[in-house]
Amino acid sequence: MHRKAFTSPSLCRAAQRAVRTHPLGVNPPPGRRAYATACDSPAARERESLSAPASAAASSTPTAAALQTSAQPASTSGQPADVPAGVRSAYIHLPFCKRKCFYCDFPVEAVGRDTTAPKVEARMRSYVDTVLREMAATRRMDHGPLQTVFFGGGTPSLLPPSLLALLLEALDSRFGLAAGAEVSLEADPGTFDAERLRQYRRLGVTRLSVGVQAFQQELLEACGRGHDLADVEAAVDAVHAAEMPSWSLDLISGLPGLTAEAWRHSLRRAVEAAPDHVSVYDLQVEEGTPFERWQRAGRLRLPPDDAAVEMYGEASELLRAAGYEHYEVSNYARPGHRCAHNQVYWRGQQYYAFGLGAASYLAGRRFSRPARMGQYVSWVGELEAAGGEALPGGHLPPESQEELLLDTLMLRLRTADGLDLAMLRNRFGAQALGTVLRPLAPHERRGTVLALDGQGRACSLAEAGLAAAAAEAVEAPAAPVAAGAGQLAEAGSGAGGGGGGGPRVRLSDPGGFLLSNDIISDVFAAFDVTSAPAPVAEPSGA
Amino acid sequence: MACPLAQQQGRCGLLGRSARTPVVPVSVHPLVRPCQQSARCLTAPQLAHRQQSQRFVPCASAVTAPELQLEKGGPGSTYGNDAVAKVPVERIRNFSIIAHIDHGKSTLADQLLLKTGTVAARDMVEQFMDSNEIERERGITIKLNTARMKYRSKRDGELYALNLIDTPGHVDFTYEVSRSLAACEGALLVVDASQGVEAQTLANVWLALENDLEVIPVLNKIDLPGADPERVIREIEEIIGLDCSNILKVSAKMGLGIEETLEAIVERVPAPKNTTAEPLRALVFDSYYDPYRGVVCQFKVMDGKVSRGDVIQMMNTGKEYQLDEVGVLAPHKVQVDTLYCGEVGYLAAQIKSVQDARVGDTVTQKKQPAATPLPGYQDIQPMVYCGLFPTDTDDYQDLREALEKLQLNDAALKFEPEVNNAMGFGFRCGFLGLLHMEIVQERLEREYNLDLITTAPTVVYRCKTTDGEEFTVNSPADLPDASRREWIAEPYVRLEMVTPTDYVGNLMELANGRRGEFIEMRYLTDSRTTLVFNIPLAEVVTDYFDQLKSRSKGYASMEYKITGYRENDLVKLEVKINGEPADPLSVICHRDNAYRTGRQLTSKLKELIPRQMFRVPIQACIGTKVVASEAIAPYRKDVLAKCYGGDISRKKKLLQKQAEGKKRMKALGKVEVPQEAFMAILKIDREAKDD
Repeated sequence: MHRKAFTSPSLCRAAQRAVRTHPLGVNPPPGRRAYATACDSPAARERESLSAPASAAASSTPTAAALQTSAQPASTSGQPADVPAGVRSAYIHLPFCKRKCFYCDFPVEAVGRDTTAPKVEARMRSYVDTVLREMAATRRMDHGPLQTVFFGGGTPSLLPPSLLALLLEALDSRFGLAAGAEVSLEADPGTFDAERLRQYRRLGVTRLSVGVQAFQQELLEACGRGHDLADVEAAVDAVHAAEMPSWSLDLISGLPGLTAEAWRHSLRRAVEAAPDHVSVYDLQVEEGTPFERWQRAGRLRLPPDDAAVEMYGEASELLRAAGYEHYEVSNYARPGHRCAHNQVYWRGQQYYAFGLGAASYLAGRRFSRPARMGQYVSWVGELEAAGGEALPGGHLPPESQEELLLDTLMLRLRTADGLDLAMLRNRFGAQALGTVLRPLAPHERRGTVLALDGQGRACSLAEAGLAAAAAEAVEAPAAPVAAGAGQLAEAGSGAGGGGGGGPRVRLSDPGGFLLSNDIISDVFAAFDVTSAPAPVAEPSGA
Repeated sequence: MACPLAQQQGRCGLLGRSARTPVVPVSVHPLVRPCQQSARCLTAPQLAHRQQSQRFVPCASAVTAPELQLEKGGPGSTYGNDAVAKVPVERIRNFSIIAHIDHGKSTLADQLLLKTGTVAARDMVEQFMDSNEIERERGITIKLNTARMKYRSKRDGELYALNLIDTPGHVDFTYEVSRSLAACEGALLVVDASQGVEAQTLANVWLALENDLEVIPVLNKIDLPGADPERVIREIEEIIGLDCSNILKVSAKMGLGIEETLEAIVERVPAPKNTTAEPLRALVFDSYYDPYRGVVCQFKVMDGKVSRGDVIQMMNTGKEYQLDEVGVLAPHKVQVDTLYCGEVGYLAAQIKSVQDARVGDTVTQKKQPAATPLPGYQDIQPMVYCGLFPTDTDDYQDLREALEKLQLNDAALKFEPEVNNAMGFGFRCGFLGLLHMEIVQERLEREYNLDLITTAPTVVYRCKTTDGEEFTVNSPADLPDASRREWIAEPYVRLEMVTPTDYVGNLMELANGRRGEFIEMRYLTDSRTTLVFNIPLAEVVTDYFDQLKSRSKGYASMEYKITGYRENDLVKLEVKINGEPADPLSVICHRDNAYRTGRQLTSKLKELIPRQMFRVPIQACIGTKVVASEAIAPYRKDVLAKCYGGDISRKKKLLQKQAEGKKRMKALGKVEVPQEAFMAILKIDREAKDD
């Protein structure tokens, strides 16, 4: 019966409570930025104008400072934010690759080895033009500058710096690009040298994500990468030579033929390369890829489950020993080097997206662009018809409270910061809090779920739950609730340093992370809202 | 069981047809049930059609001058546009056809109908019915029908009324077969000239002889290249002891020997005894439910006579009804005024349920009741029980309604509500046998669109407790603790297997492995053998038939008869998953087999239950003693660590799908067991039995 506990009416009540507790959030004095709070944000106004669900603190966004210092001790967290909120991030998809890897199911355009051929450059030029048109046609959500930009692919480092410059200029002129914004670019070995990286730096790129994937020649070949081991070494040298402010080395675990020994070797080589950040993705055999075909034919020898478990544990142990914080299921960072852009995703904040197949989250709408080039180009054409005020995915209803809740649970539970229970309670109600805690209890007993109190000390799930339930009770309605909301919004970034923040739950490392699907789906199953996203969302105020 | 399955399923035709297609385009006038084609309710086009069809019937139009007509509806009267002509008792012949599957029973029946002009050739085409799937798989006939034929004998030029009474062809329905045979005075024993006598044939011949029927052997398929009439005749003579000096040689397919067969029926089948003067006694040998007429009973008037409007009494149930309708099936319904001693027909009287007009009951007049009912009536008890649970708990009410509707038509189906910790609400249902069970399940799923989970079938045990109480046990869960049991008894059957001699070893091994006790082996001929065993029914109701077929390359046949109960060293084998008893998986078995069964059960469950977060022990226990145990290792990895960038929708859909799957799991204690586990256990357990 507890499955039924979370229903629309209860959400309405939760929303009403949110309304009562955060009057400013519902009726902000327009334009009074001096009093701006997390709730008095442009996003909140946006929300209101759309009569979307009163998502209360949903869009209360951390400060720019918080974004920049997210991995630091939470000295800034808890400060009332007199800072821009709203949409502060953008993703740009650059689909060009030399060749498509055997495991890849992203929208990719293979251009061959000769990436500077006039024909190829013309294609890139034409694609960039389309993206520029898309940017120009997309509605500006507010006037604050972008704090994070991420060029993903494909292989963005195939793009000549001149074209990248066009994109960055366009972003800056239309949406604004904050000084000190994190600008990440994915780069594959074999596509750049130190000089190219210096050019990127001059254009404003601050962070590189280098797709090394493996340190074994045979594995690189086995997964169809477009580079070899020598390219990897050259790439690492180039990154150091160019003095990139921050860079990530990306690895894939679970590749066919990967042994424990080879994996250990890869991890050691990765640490030796001294990146600021390491991503360790696990191979997923996706439909329509050569790997999937081979798997069906029984020709793909993936490491057995138990071996994969060992490898995951080994990565966690080895990288943490080397000074990297395991801050999300597949991400590790040195202090101060968490990827700010990714954290935008995981905190449920909104972001622009441009380009083939890219997914944006604007005005409560998650929208994926067409993944086929022809369709994408004509979609941009339609977007332009709106005269520069188009909201991508505007035909969709804004996310319902249920969807928001599931997003929140799914994204936060995959991070080391975990799920802030007081935030959960305030945004979704005490009932939702209870419904989340119940299915987590058996996992706590198995040691895969941990609870932390407001001071970052270990406590029991029950204690954390009680503390979260009490959190609001202490707050008198007359208290500056906005500050409270600000705190909630910031709490997520604070736990990394161990101080402050609300009571929270997180998955243990590595045991809990390894079972994240199982645990999160248990929580999903506890709510009666597990069916695929309903196309129609009812405004919760109705 | 009164099983007009063919009619209910909208299939038409007189007799069970094999999967093979007859060469002659044969079809009986459709006996489609929903709109009963009595003369009264025939639509205009149907009437026209029938009149037209009768032009093709050479001997239907020439009814001779009325004979001495004593009263209305007596000999000489005609009904249904001459389709039915009444004749004196001494010119009535009631017979059935006994045959093994595929030996040509349906084809022969069709030919008889054609030859007598009961059905015209052009109408026969319509009867091309698919054999029911269960029939084909199991090789049996479940249909029941009668047909009254008008035949002018070449011998004396007289008009005869021949009633062909069908019999169901499966052991589950032995009782119904015996009642049908009791309505006959003779039977055609049809044997395939290339294959010889089979177990099913034998069993029915014994039944026919017990009922004092005149058995006329017929050798069919004599035109086939493989025919070996001499050998088969020898078999019939040696095994059954029938005089085959004037055996009929027929090819039903080619229409050879049909005339001779009809003459033999007239000549050799005795006429019914003329007891018209005595009080009415009529034997019900089939009944089915019709939404407009109520229950329609097929019956034979053994003594006296019965007319429309009479008030009758069912002697065994004591129920009284006024007859709305009496008639004959020719083969469609034709209403008549009166049915006399020796005649076969149907009655309708707005009887609410087949429970009230059971097969084997005796119909008598209320005004002038008979002193004693006809012998042979039995109250049928289910022999096999299983649990039926709706996959979707919301379907519980629908399942109840569907079972109630089926029960209107099926006196042998029993059900009572059952609740169980893993499956929720459902019903414990009793059946005559496995086939009956499968038919009911199939109808529930096909006709009522229900998605069901079935628990393993169990036979009905008897148990006596230490305090002297004796009761029947339909479900392992009902069995009292070992300490409270004096004994458990299980039903035994006498099993006859007829097989080519080559497979004797295989079948001996099969029966011995199933606790069978060898009784005798008889060489029927040089190449064919009968094996007779006493064997617990529980061993036969699993996959015995399938095993028999596979071990004899399909050549062996079997037949069994319940012989009684016997105390045995039986135990309840309980399955515990993670320490919790899993009732739906428990079985009652012999102590000697408990170890093996337990091992198979636990190892199958290990395959079927997904890994959990924790180590899951699976144990099979007798009382507190563990006889087999397995453990499912906990899984350790279930993570999506792919870079999806900002596109969280796929990740979310995956998790939502996983969450949906979890909701559909049935929790046995703390362990989530997929529904397939309950179903697969049934199948796999059987397959593994003789590994």
